[in-house]
Amino acid sequence: MDPFISVTLAVFLPFLLALAVPAVEKLIKHRIGWFASFIALISFLLVISLVPLVIHGEHFQASVEWIPSMGIEYSIYVDGLSILFGIIITGIGIIIMSYSNGYMGLKEDLPRYYQWLLLFMGSMLGMVFAANTIMLFIFWELTSITSFMLIGYWRNKPESVYGATKSLLVTAAGGLFMLAGFIVLRSITGTFDIPAILQNETLIQTVQGHKLFLAALILIFIGAASKSAQGPFYIWLPNAMEAPTPVSAFLHSATMVKAGIYLVARVHPIFSGTEAWFILVSGTGIITMLVAGFLAFRQIDIKALLAYSTISQLAYIMTMYGYTTYQEPGIGVAAATFHLLNHATFKACLFLVAGIVAHEAATRDITRLGGLRHEMPITFIIATIGALSMAGVPPLNGFLSKEMFYESSIEMGHALGSPFTFIIPALAVAGGVFTFAYSIKFIAAIFLGKRPEKGLPSHIHDPSFVMIIPAAFLAGLIILFGLVPSIAVQNLVEPTASSIMMEAQHLHVKLWHGLTGSLVMTLITFLLGIAVYTRYDSIAEWQNSFNRKYPFISINYIYDGLVNNAKGTLKRFSSFMQPGPVKGYVLALLVLMIILFAIPFLKLSTGFIQTLNFNVEPYEFLVFFFMIVAAVGAAVLPKYLPAVISLSALGYLVSLLFIYLSAPDLALTQVLVETLSTIIFLLAIVKIPQTFKEHITPSLFTRDALIAVSVASVVFILLVNATQGIIPPFESLSYYFIEKAWPLAGGHNIVNVIIVDFRGYDTLGEISVMCLAALGVYNLIHSRGESE
Amino acid sequence: MNNTVLSFTIAVLFGIGTFLILRRDIVRVIIGLSVLSHAVNLLIVSVGVFSGKDVPILTHDEVVPTNTIFSDSLQNSVLAPLLNGTEPTQFVDPLVQALVLTAIVISLATTAVIIILAYRIHEEYGTTDIQKLKRLWG
Repeated sequence: MDPFISVTLAVFLPFLLALAVPAVEKLIKHRIGWFASFIALISFLLVISLVPLVIHGEHFQASVEWIPSMGIEYSIYVDGLSILFGIIITGIGIIIMSYSNGYMGLKEDLPRYYQWLLLFMGSMLGMVFAANTIMLFIFWELTSITSFMLIGYWRNKPESVYGATKSLLVTAAGGLFMLAGFIVLRSITGTFDIPAILQNETLIQTVQGHKLFLAALILIFIGAASKSAQGPFYIWLPNAMEAPTPVSAFLHSATMVKAGIYLVARVHPIFSGTEAWFILVSGTGIITMLVAGFLAFRQIDIKALLAYSTISQLAYIMTMYGYTTYQEPGIGVAAATFHLLNHATFKACLFLVAGIVAHEAATRDITRLGGLRHEMPITFIIATIGALSMAGVPPLNGFLSKEMFYESSIEMGHALGSPFTFIIPALAVAGGVFTFAYSIKFIAAIFLGKRPEKGLPSHIHDPSFVMIIPAAFLAGLIILFGLVPSIAVQNLVEPTASSIMMEAQHLHVKLWHGLTGSLVMTLITFLLGIAVYTRYDSIAEWQNSFNRKYPFISINYIYDGLVNNAKGTLKRFSSFMQPGPVKGYVLALLVLMIILFAIPFLKLSTGFIQTLNFNVEPYEFLVFFFMIVAAVGAAVLPKYLPAVISLSALGYLVSLLFIYLSAPDLALTQVLVETLSTIIFLLAIVKIPQTFKEHITPSLFTRDALIAVSVASVVFILLVNATQGIIPPFESLSYYFIEKAWPLAGGHNIVNVIIVDFRGYDTLGEISVMCLAALGVYNLIHSRGESE
Repeated sequence: MNNTVLSFTIAVLFGIGTFLILRRDIVRVIIGLSVLSHAVNLLIVSVGVFSGKDVPILTHDEVVPTNTIFSDSLQNSVLAPLLNGTEPTQFVDPLVQALVLTAIVISLATTAVIIILAYRIHEEYGTTDIQKLKRLWG
């Protein structure tokens, strides 16, 4: 099949079939999960069919015009990187949706669950295959929205709502930063097309030398960091654990949180190789790796522990992408990519185990779990494989990529020179030590030790095959990738690294590669890890007491303060801004207008006396005189009817004046509109008997007259200045319309041409306003019957 | 066009309109709004008018040279014309007229809605006093 069609189908089938889910659910009831898994399988096969296309580091691009005037296309780009992500997304998608069949109870709202899962999968696929930054942004924000819906799946749990809101606020706001970054990038390069930049060496040079380089880099990186829970943006991920566990496994460990990594890898050729890239990406990565790894200790919810470990593991990957500035770039990129794949396998596996434990033991609290190895032997084995892989124990896949991380850290240290020769590897080992300790804790807390006397159900057993097989499959992959790394490396990692590096890469990953520096570091990690594990509980206790003593040293504290205070502040603001009486608003506006206009004109007004012009033709003078008379009449005539007639006289005089002001179209319109509005006025006014007469006290009169006179004077000064050219005349847009009226629109009447051609959308808006007004009037009259 | 009497007339209309919208009687407020919208329309049109200029209607198929350099090019992502040099043309400003034309029509819609609203308010509450309405409201 044509690759363009394959990709388009893979992306949009989940979208389309998600709409069909409620209908299908009517037919096959609770087996709807298998329908969803089947859709994921189709997408998976479509993605797999593209693998030969990119296996040697080639790429493929195709596009269809979407908004050509803005340079925005529906444009797909297939290379190793997008294929790797496509495989992870759809592959884990199949596993998760099958597993959900066992996990989700039959009483749950299943159609909604699978619908959002499918929509998420489609958005994610669309994002990784997007060749256009605008398209990427749209799918990016779609993943934020679908994630929001899935975290908040249990709508009536306040924690779910809190977690969903937090994740949406952080990731969607980050997405907006990213959009700003894309626009900056576009202003530098002149294109929204990513491959066009990647394949153009000189354009990349231009970007890196541009004065807006740093702005673009930082903005885009904020987007990546918020999505991948890096740096201060990590706070949303632990709260996102309120989602159903399969969702956590899918979105918040294997796929969505890797979107930031994807973005970093995607723009890697554009920004990497600079000092700023290293400091920003690796700096954020190293700090996040250590802090999140450390904070994992005090988590007592197994999913929260996994969430912190995800943050920390993603930070490894970030760090390695950042390393490329100061070393042979291939190493870091390949290691990062390999770890990305491995992390998807072992973390999804661990989440599935967490789901099994929560499902069977009805708790996720590690203080209440323990000793389940006898009751759940299969789960225990799977969990051990996953956890040991995360800890970096040979011969599992986590060991391989962690070795590569150590190796590139050593090289990094050498490249930077003393004192970093020691510091960088030491920091890397510290990250590894934390990982080792909490990986062991995960196993020990659930399966080892003694079974608690109370709090657990009496009969706990391994779950049904529906839940165990997906987890076992992932465990199998962990071992397979560990023992025979070449399967993953040659088919997935090499093409990906090649596409990130924009040149072919060849890697040799072996389980045993001699007694190297990285192996020594691994051994140190194990020794220190065991040492730290023995002190695990006291470290956690210290963290808790620190948190109690200084609750404000926390990013969550700031977030809660900002969000909760925002409600209070806005409430005060709106009750201050909208006190009720209309007169208050009018006064505020008028006073503001007077001040804003008066200040500049007071400075200019010197000398305008000389240029006053009273040369008026007698007939003009008559028009002006009658206008003022009519306006005064509308104001002072005590009865409504004469006042309204006076007002319409004013309107007709205005149209007369328009003729004199060389505006025949306006005169015509004004006559028509005035006639209509007089009719409407009269129709309504005869039905309103004049019962109320305002008593104007002298003080009230003085105040209002003073305001009116100030407004009038300001307008007068403004006009006298404006019509005399004392204000410097700025370049008028009108010249454009005058010159282009005939050649572009073929019209003679320039005003008409502006209205129907150049500003056609304004006129469309105007027509909509008229329609809405008509509807409003109709409904106002119509609503009369209901109130009685 | 430098006509001080016109400026004065517009200013007076503004003053009267302002005084009226500060009233308590809702019908007076609506009349005030109409007076104000007339004043605003006249203000905008009058600043685009210069004595000795023609009505902005071409007499035959022609390109009016304005000695202006246009560079509205999509390739260079310039979505508005850049104007360098402003040779005076023989026309009054058509753009302000187009704006005011829209405004006149919109003000008809506004007037229609609020006058009917006033009528309905009177029907529901039996008063046209804004102050009293506020008390009814809360």
